[in-house]
Amino acid sequence: MQDDLTTGYSAQSAALKGTVPGADALRAKAMTDFGAQGFPHAKAEDWRYSDLKALRAGVYAPVDAPKVAPEVPAAMGESAARFVFVNGRYAEDLSDLGDLWQAASIRPIANHFSSSSARTDELVRGKDGIALLNTALLRDGMVISVPAGVEIDDPVEIVHIMTEAAGQAAHLRHVIELGEGAKLTVLERFIGDDSAYWQNIILQARVAEGASFSHFRLQEEGLGAVHTAKVYVNVDASGQYHVMNMTMGAKMARFEAHVRMLGEEADATVDGVALTGTGQVHDTLTHVDHVVPFATSDQIFRTVADARGKTAFAGKVTVAKDAQKTAADQSFKALVFDRTAEANAKPELEIFADDVKCSHGATIGELDAKAIFYLTSRGIDPVTARRMLVEAFTAGALERVTVDSIRDAMMERIGTWMSSRADRTVAEVQEA
Amino acid sequence: MLKINDLHISVGDKEIVKGLSLEIKPGETHAIMGLNGAGKSTLAATIAGRDDYDVTSGSIEFEGKDLLELEPHERVGEGLFLGFQYPVEIPGVSNLNFLRTALNSIRKYRGLDEMSAAEFMKLVREKAKALNMDPEMLKRFVNVGFSGGEKKRNEMVQMAVLDPKLAILDETDSGLDIDALKTVAEGINAQRRDDTAILLITHYQRLLSYVQPDVVHVMIDGRIVKSGGKELALELEEKGYADVA
Repeated sequence: MQDDLTTGYSAQSAALKGTVPGADALRAKAMTDFGAQGFPHAKAEDWRYSDLKALRAGVYAPVDAPKVAPEVPAAMGESAARFVFVNGRYAEDLSDLGDLWQAASIRPIANHFSSSSARTDELVRGKDGIALLNTALLRDGMVISVPAGVEIDDPVEIVHIMTEAAGQAAHLRHVIELGEGAKLTVLERFIGDDSAYWQNIILQARVAEGASFSHFRLQEEGLGAVHTAKVYVNVDASGQYHVMNMTMGAKMARFEAHVRMLGEEADATVDGVALTGTGQVHDTLTHVDHVVPFATSDQIFRTVADARGKTAFAGKVTVAKDAQKTAADQSFKALVFDRTAEANAKPELEIFADDVKCSHGATIGELDAKAIFYLTSRGIDPVTARRMLVEAFTAGALERVTVDSIRDAMMERIGTWMSSRADRTVAEVQEA
Repeated sequence: MLKINDLHISVGDKEIVKGLSLEIKPGETHAIMGLNGAGKSTLAATIAGRDDYDVTSGSIEFEGKDLLELEPHERVGEGLFLGFQYPVEIPGVSNLNFLRTALNSIRKYRGLDEMSAAEFMKLVREKAKALNMDPEMLKRFVNVGFSGGEKKRNEMVQMAVLDPKLAILDETDSGLDIDALKTVAEGINAQRRDDTAILLITHYQRLLSYVQPDVVHVMIDGRIVKSGGKELALELEEKGYADVA
């Protein structure tokens, strides 16, 4: 099978030759490495809970443009610019550059490699088969560079739409560069129809000294999709990185955040909320790497799994020998709606410095029946009561989303998701 | 207002309430007194609709409706309120959000429009003030980090805002110092009107000095064994349950 995959993807990679100036050598190297190692093994510790069967079963074709132009969802509040990608390609006619081009440099990734190829792939560390294919088949993506001292107030929205893409894969790469003291907020949205496509995306960012990058993700892929996403961020002194990943869609979704704290007083907030329905798998891996002293990181992850849904969280924090006075917190809590739902947690701390404050906690439980009765005993119906408790459960992560329109939209989705569960839950209760 | 007829309640195989009848009319305050394990709290929770208890026979009618046919939140919509012996802590849900959602749920059940935020705030502030509750506590998560007395006071604020026809108060006096007890008693007395009724469930006579009941019932082993006027509470306090029964 691996031979078939290698042959198929090699042909795709070769066909892309010349489309991205300066990237051919990088692609060829990645393709060779993919041929040697293939996709991660199902039994590999970091991949125990992700289901890569669909990826191993056969070669995903390159994406085609859809026959019918997709509907683009309305923006979430004010945005500085809006970039729309349809089936893995930038859709200029659906995008809106706003005023962003006046303050920052925006270019397609195809123009990026020739100028700075040496720097382009270096953030992507620990390359597995999925990352390698992303490089080997790389074609499109957005590069946004915000110059030193420039603060972009409104969020930049990047919308990824997949439609009529059964058996096809999009491999996208976005690059965000923030100069010293710059400020940028990016909202990435993912939506798609029910075709069995694969969205494979990497976002890499450099946050220079004193810069601030807020990164919100709302993953609402179609329920037949595989979504694999990796985020690589380097944070310099006094820089701030905040990511909040809300994951709801896809049959199988994997989100990885790899954050390196490279300067003193760098600060990272790495949060996530997963709403996992019947038959879905939502897997998260984070790695916050404290390389220097006096940096802080904080992680809050909350997952909610309905019947036969599966969530997993592996959170790794490494503190180098010299990274004294590091403060690193991590909290993972999972809710399961019944005994057929599954939640897995693996906190992992590797600390080589002796003067640090690091904590982690993981709990898995069901909705508190006493709390539900207390709420209903005040006149609140059970569906609303359960929704209020799930909202409260996820609040720790959502409250840290500083953009009101985005936070409200995320909260609203929790309400909708809970309501869509209500009928089924009631039916199941009656059955029982 | 409330008519309970030959009620039997079981938990698993064990019968806890063994044929209890009780009628409460508008304007009346009743007290059920009894020792631990007599079945008082089971009775209160069953009236409110907790599903851990099985009603094996008998009936509960509230304003002519079969209460046992209604979900807990529907019972509240009809005008019932249960004050908890152990109010539940709900991290992440603020007192204000909780109360406002509750009040508007009840209004919706009754076919009324939602109360505006401004009107609601005015109502809550007024009720909290009357019960000596620090307005800051309204912003905090429901009962989280509250002392025993603060939790009971919070129950009274909820009762005052939701304004039930019948309030069943389960051991609302337990764990209170004398000042808190007086405040809680004032809250209960403020809720006594010609068109409302109160059912107090308690161990001790203490609360009944401040909230004087019209009828006192003595409950032993799942039954009401004796009923009388408020003097019965004093008699119980003096002689103990064994002698009075």
